[in-house]
Amino acid sequence: MELKGSQTLAATPDQVWSALFDRAILEQAIPGCESLEQTSDTSFSAVVKLKIGPVSARFKGDVELSDIAPGLSCTLSGKGSGGIAGFAKGAARVTLTPQGAQTVLDYTADVAVGGKLAALGNRLIKATAQKLTGEFFANFDTALTCEETAPAA
Amino acid sequence: MKADITLTVNGEAVRETVEPRTSLADLLRDNLRLTGTHLGCEMGACGACLVLLDGVPVHACLVLAVQADGQKVETIEGLNESGQIEDLQKTFHDRNALQCGFCTNGMLMSAHALLAGNSDPSRDEIRDALSGNYCRCTGYEAIVDAISATAEHRLSAERRLSKMKGAQ
Amino acid sequence: MMASTDHIGQSHRRENALRHLAGRGRFVTDLALPRMVHAAFVRSPMAKGKIVELDVTAAAAAPGVVRVFTAETLNPICAPWTGTLDHFAGMKSAPQNMLAEGQVLWAGHPVAMILAHSRAEAEDACELVLLDIEDEDAVVDGDAALVEGTPLVSDGIASNLCYRTVLETPGLEEAFSNAAHVVEGRFTFGRHTAVTLEPRAVVADFDPSTGQLTVHHGTQTPYQFQDVYAHQFGLPDNKVRVIAPDVGGSFGMKLHVYNEEMAVVAASITLGRPVRFVADRLESFVSDVHARDHRVSARMAMDAQGTILAMDVDDMTQIGAFSTYPRTSVAEGNQVIRLMGAPYTMPDYRGRLSVVFQNKVQTSQYRAVGHPIACAVTEALVDRAAEQLDLDPIEIRARNLVADDAYPHVSATGYQFEKLSHHAALAKLRQMMGYETLREEQAALRKQGIYRGIGIASFVEITNPGAAFYGVGGARVSAQDGAIVRLTPSGEVHCAISVTEQGQGTETIIAQVVADQLGVTPDQVKVTTGDTDTTPSGGATWACRGAGIGGETALRAGRRLQAQILAIAGAVLQAEPATLALAEGAVIDRATGQERITLAEIGRIATYRPDTLPEGCDNSLTAVQHFAPTGYPFDFTNGIQASHVEVDIETGVTRLLKHWVVEDCGRIINPLLVDAQIRGGVVQGLGPAFFEECMYDDMGQMTNASLADYLVPMAGEMPDIEIAHIETPTLDTILGAKGVGEAGTAAAGAAAMNAVNDALRPMGARISQTPMTPLRILTALGHV
Repeated sequence: MELKGSQTLAATPDQVWSALFDRAILEQAIPGCESLEQTSDTSFSAVVKLKIGPVSARFKGDVELSDIAPGLSCTLSGKGSGGIAGFAKGAARVTLTPQGAQTVLDYTADVAVGGKLAALGNRLIKATAQKLTGEFFANFDTALTCEETAPAA
Repeated sequence: MKADITLTVNGEAVRETVEPRTSLADLLRDNLRLTGTHLGCEMGACGACLVLLDGVPVHACLVLAVQADGQKVETIEGLNESGQIEDLQKTFHDRNALQCGFCTNGMLMSAHALLAGNSDPSRDEIRDALSGNYCRCTGYEAIVDAISATAEHRLSAERRLSKMKGAQ
Repeated sequence: MMASTDHIGQSHRRENALRHLAGRGRFVTDLALPRMVHAAFVRSPMAKGKIVELDVTAAAAAPGVVRVFTAETLNPICAPWTGTLDHFAGMKSAPQNMLAEGQVLWAGHPVAMILAHSRAEAEDACELVLLDIEDEDAVVDGDAALVEGTPLVSDGIASNLCYRTVLETPGLEEAFSNAAHVVEGRFTFGRHTAVTLEPRAVVADFDPSTGQLTVHHGTQTPYQFQDVYAHQFGLPDNKVRVIAPDVGGSFGMKLHVYNEEMAVVAASITLGRPVRFVADRLESFVSDVHARDHRVSARMAMDAQGTILAMDVDDMTQIGAFSTYPRTSVAEGNQVIRLMGAPYTMPDYRGRLSVVFQNKVQTSQYRAVGHPIACAVTEALVDRAAEQLDLDPIEIRARNLVADDAYPHVSATGYQFEKLSHHAALAKLRQMMGYETLREEQAALRKQGIYRGIGIASFVEITNPGAAFYGVGGARVSAQDGAIVRLTPSGEVHCAISVTEQGQGTETIIAQVVADQLGVTPDQVKVTTGDTDTTPSGGATWACRGAGIGGETALRAGRRLQAQILAIAGAVLQAEPATLALAEGAVIDRATGQERITLAEIGRIATYRPDTLPEGCDNSLTAVQHFAPTGYPFDFTNGIQASHVEVDIETGVTRLLKHWVVEDCGRIINPLLVDAQIRGGVVQGLGPAFFEECMYDDMGQMTNASLADYLVPMAGEMPDIEIAHIETPTLDTILGAKGVGEAGTAAAGAAAMNAVNDALRPMGARISQTPMTPLRILTALGHV
């Protein structure tokens, strides 16, 4: 399953770039995120609670950033296992382009799902994935804005 | 969290306390032990759980118990005891329009609703009316035959009645 | 001995149907026992992988949860089972456990079991289980599985090949080199599954105070499961009672050993309280056995006149990660290669079979085991031969079907046929369907751009198997059946018998057979089935053995009781028993037909005044009979089917216009029920021919595991089915009945495929894959 999209964020590419590697911002942005730990400079592990159609579960997953061109692009690959609900794995290529004071983030993702999600929710998955992606960027945008206005830590 | 609901099931007043997620099917089967309503898919595809809700066939697996609050529910047990579908049951029996019996409740509900709205359905119309009822055993033909025969019996009974009235 | 046939052969209606019509079915699904807990399973989301972490702490603490079992805590109390049989020489399969140990082998493989006060609470708790699996490359395709370097399906096997065999006659090569014509084809038969409307259901109830295990189990084979539970859990079999009440469809799917049923029994033994598991529809799709999944390459050699000289067949079938227990997943392929060409006087043959493991749900026996594949391949090649030789499909069959007076006949694959009636069936079919008129109509409609097709398929069906089926291979699967027939103190009749009822009317035909032996009506015969404590042990209902073997058992039991009754009557009446007979609920004088004493009076005397009978007179009024088939290893039946379809070449949609069946199941006990079996069987053959398919992605994920996405045949899509009969009783039994449950399924898909290809012929298109979906038909037409 391929997902494509574009999101305009109210921040400069550099701000967006550093937020992509910011544990606290990501934790706020990932829908249903219960905990997020940074395991290295470029990897995180997360526990996420999600409901997709008839299936709801806690996913335990890992995210890794690679092919890094600082400030421009990177690849996020992830794998999440949700017990009986199933699992998802995939990779997204993220590209940042400045647009005035803002940044356009383009992404192309290839996602595969398994378990109950695949068996039952096939028809729901694309719509749900798009919805979750939307939520992620909305949250990301909000967190980014708050971060800017908040005093530096 | 739980809700109190009051409904009429097969003519009897019922008061139950249910969770919001409890389906009407689970209420009927588990709480009231009306096990003639069957569950085959729990997603409204197979028709084994059909019941009449205020006279209209609905999938009891898709209706929440709380949605049936204040309404009238009729199940196969009620239809059977009321005698409303006696002729339909008889033609199903004569034609052997059931094997394992798991779909039969839903078939009778669909047939009952069809004949209430169309007293003289064609075979194609009967097959269409059963489009939400899955049967793995019979191959459907005997069910179509039985419904068709019931319609014929009802029509000829009506004709006899109107003739008698005409003669009076 | 006088053979009364007042009721055998009559269309008696089923008494047990009345309960269902009144909403009074008694299914395992409906059962609620005191202190019963509900089971839900955590299943592997991946087709293959290693369990890295399984954390059930949160689940165990969830509301309503009574116990959580993992492999570590549950598996030790049940011996592993292995689905191999000795007569399939060299076959291999890994031992199976209830819950996956270390490695998961298909998407849906149970990993943990949660017991709670309600199923909803158990499911809620499943969501709290953290299961981390390290993904391994799944083997999803059978051909790829056999390629060197492909990973193994599981750590428990040394090769992805479960079994391979070859049958070959000495003249095969010569037949092909001498052939005037050779036709060939490659066929793919999709995976599908039973989709019984009542899912698999079990309530296990172990009583630690007495050591009694009672399992209420929606199965067709209660005695087999009594034995399985006793053996695997180390219990004496007289302390294991299996009750199969009303079963909402079975079709072969409910006679296999499944992880969940075993786990429920294990849990009940551990907890000492009743445990219930009812599969939801998704669980059914990822844990019930699937069927078929074959790829077949085949060729057929003919002489210049269109006489079939030989067939050469290679069948590759994909069975999942394990062979099923206790009947194996090899039986189907074995029947595929042995049934090829069965209706025809084909002298030479080679059949190769490869049975291959993969990371999917197991496949195994389902209605008409192997028949639809063998029939579709044979009949497709016969049609291709007819096309090549410019012969009418009826004519080429008439030239090749074994002559009705040429029996006994042994097929090229070694099957022995006692007596079949192919030519009579062909003639009857031709007349019934109005073949010539249909052909004229077809030609006229083609000119208007309407493409109709007529497809014909002859078939042979295996019924009434003896011990050659499983017993010789070491399987504890009974080939015999037993009946106890009693006259009650009031002169009514009770029959307890080991063949079981899933709606096909077993109890009704048994009542008819017994009634005729005792001079009563079938409604005076109460029949009890499906309970190992109250009926004698036997094979029960599978492979079309209910009527032929069960019926014969009942007949012989009835005759034994008849002799007992006549002996008592003789003593009471001071008459030679040989001068007496039974009719209309009484003992009559055989010569005059005059009533001498009623059965009620016999019952009264034997029960309440046995003191008035002479010393040594047997007053038990109870006869026991066990019967196992002797003579031929199987009773083969035969028949022919025809399908009439219209293909919309713009949309690829096929409309089924009509279907015809001529069938010879020997002595017909109940015409109404025989036709019901045939019609239901035909639709179970047409479903997979057009709609039903378990779809998988390349990771081994089933992607249509719901009734919204998996298409089952519905009323609006199915045709009317016209049926005619020929009766050639088997002489191996007194009753002469053979089986009929699988005949419809055996050839319906073959006839349909020939019909679709007949419709597509003007476009030069051909389809060789089932289901024949609109997309595949459009692809065959070159439109997509």
